[in-house]
Amino acid sequence: MAGRPNATALVCAAIPVLALTVGVIPADRLEPRIFGMPFVLAWIVLWVLLTPAFLSAAHRSMRG
Amino acid sequence: MSAAVALGIIALVVVATIALGLYGVRGVKMDAQEYIVGGRRIGALLLWLLLAGEIYTTFTFLGAAGWAYGKGAPAYYILCYGTLAYIISFFLAPAVHRIARERGYLTGPDFFRDRYESRLLGALVALVGFVMLVPYVTLQLTGIQILVQIAGFGRIDPLVAVAIAFFMIALFTFVAGLRGAAWAAVAKDGLVLIGVIFAGLVLPAHFFGSPAGAMDAVLRDPTHPNWLVIGPPSAGANSITWVVTTVVLTGCGFFMWPQSMAAIYSARDEETLRRNAIFLPFYQVMLLLVFFAGFTALEVVPGLKGPAADQSFMLIVQKYYPAWVLGIIAAAGVLAGLVPAAGQMLAAASIIGKNVCADYGFARDERSQTLVTRVLVLVVAILAFGFWAVAKTTLVGLLLIGYNGVTQFFPGVVLGVADRRPSAAAVGAGIVAGLVVLIVCTVRGVGQIDGVNTGLIALIANVVVLAIASVAVPRRATSGEIA
Repeated sequence: MAGRPNATALVCAAIPVLALTVGVIPADRLEPRIFGMPFVLAWIVLWVLLTPAFLSAAHRSMRG
Repeated sequence: MSAAVALGIIALVVVATIALGLYGVRGVKMDAQEYIVGGRRIGALLLWLLLAGEIYTTFTFLGAAGWAYGKGAPAYYILCYGTLAYIISFFLAPAVHRIARERGYLTGPDFFRDRYESRLLGALVALVGFVMLVPYVTLQLTGIQILVQIAGFGRIDPLVAVAIAFFMIALFTFVAGLRGAAWAAVAKDGLVLIGVIFAGLVLPAHFFGSPAGAMDAVLRDPTHPNWLVIGPPSAGANSITWVVTTVVLTGCGFFMWPQSMAAIYSARDEETLRRNAIFLPFYQVMLLLVFFAGFTALEVVPGLKGPAADQSFMLIVQKYYPAWVLGIIAAAGVLAGLVPAAGQMLAAASIIGKNVCADYGFARDERSQTLVTRVLVLVVAILAFGFWAVAKTTLVGLLLIGYNGVTQFFPGVVLGVADRRPSAAAVGAGIVAGLVVLIVCTVRGVGQIDGVNTGLIALIANVVVLAIASVAVPRRATSGEIA
């Protein structure tokens, strides 16, 4: 049973949050295009897909 | 003939979905708890569909494509904010669920009433939530209207068709409650997935060889320079500043809608909510396909202006594909309007029934509470329909106000899960301050200041007032009694 959020869990969750907010600012470029997508869209899609991994890590750390 | 085929498919799908929802609640005894929060026994898979069902509304289906078509890269914000919301919900939703289960909450405003020991605060949150929800339901009707018009090749009076479809779903909500809505979401999500794959992969492949080809075409088109990147400029409407502030704002507001709070309560346990938060971001990828559909439409049917952009890819389907394909895609879109509308109507009805009527002494017992909620579902349906028939043009603005409005509940919910909480007066003052900022900005037609979404400014005003007021009006020692 998972307990309360700890520091590790919060850091794990903060990484995708930053990537999908302020991280979008430097990523806002067309090149290099990835699978035809502009770089900024590929950046966002990548972080959306990585988020479950970060949240799983947070989840594991809370189970201790 | 084509219109008959397409509309016939839509009608068949709507009826089949309602049948599935009714099948899902067969033999379930409907008390208030079962009706409003599915008896708090909704398991992982059905909860996933219920939560996802609230995200994929007609507005996403048509609106996200419309944004990609009409505004370009700022549409990417839609991918970000849902993901941000799931990350927040990973921490917040289990805590809210635990308290709700222990204290027996049925509605979002119940949380405020009990955690801050104020019936008045509960009623305030209920009334604000209600006012924000009715235009949201109305917006679904506009989406359905667009789809019925396209499927009927403009020869059908949409008023009649929308009225029939909508009152069927209102009646369905009346009978089946939240669990029925979750079951209907099963049919809806399956069909929407087919529709989105068709629109986002088959359409671009047909016209440009692949989605990448469609994006190449957008880049080659000199009428849309810089369409696929957000900036420059760095400030102003749809700038990078706007995108980032809007993602933060809507990410915080996402689970504050009364229907989302009800979905959190309906979960079987806290682990179900955590697992859902972990995996729901994968669902967001469907939106990527919707963007591809919008980009394809931009080069195949150019020149749609304003709200007409929302029709973008449906017009391609109408023009280039057989009627049965049009019927299936349009049916997916219609379900994407009707199923969320069921959850929204149920939430709007239950918050008034519980936090305004029952908490103030009217219809307090279980049986009359369920009855009042059911009757209110029909009242909400009539209100939303009337609103739609009278003022259908200015709705997108109303939805943005709605989102900004419910986000004002965020500080109260976050602080409400803590052991030491501010006073009800402080939380209420914060909400009112945020709403005043929103109303002033809306009346003046200001949506952003230097690119910063005014909803975020309102949220900051809310937090500042809350902080000052909680120093000025500290919380009294808890007596455990609710005033």
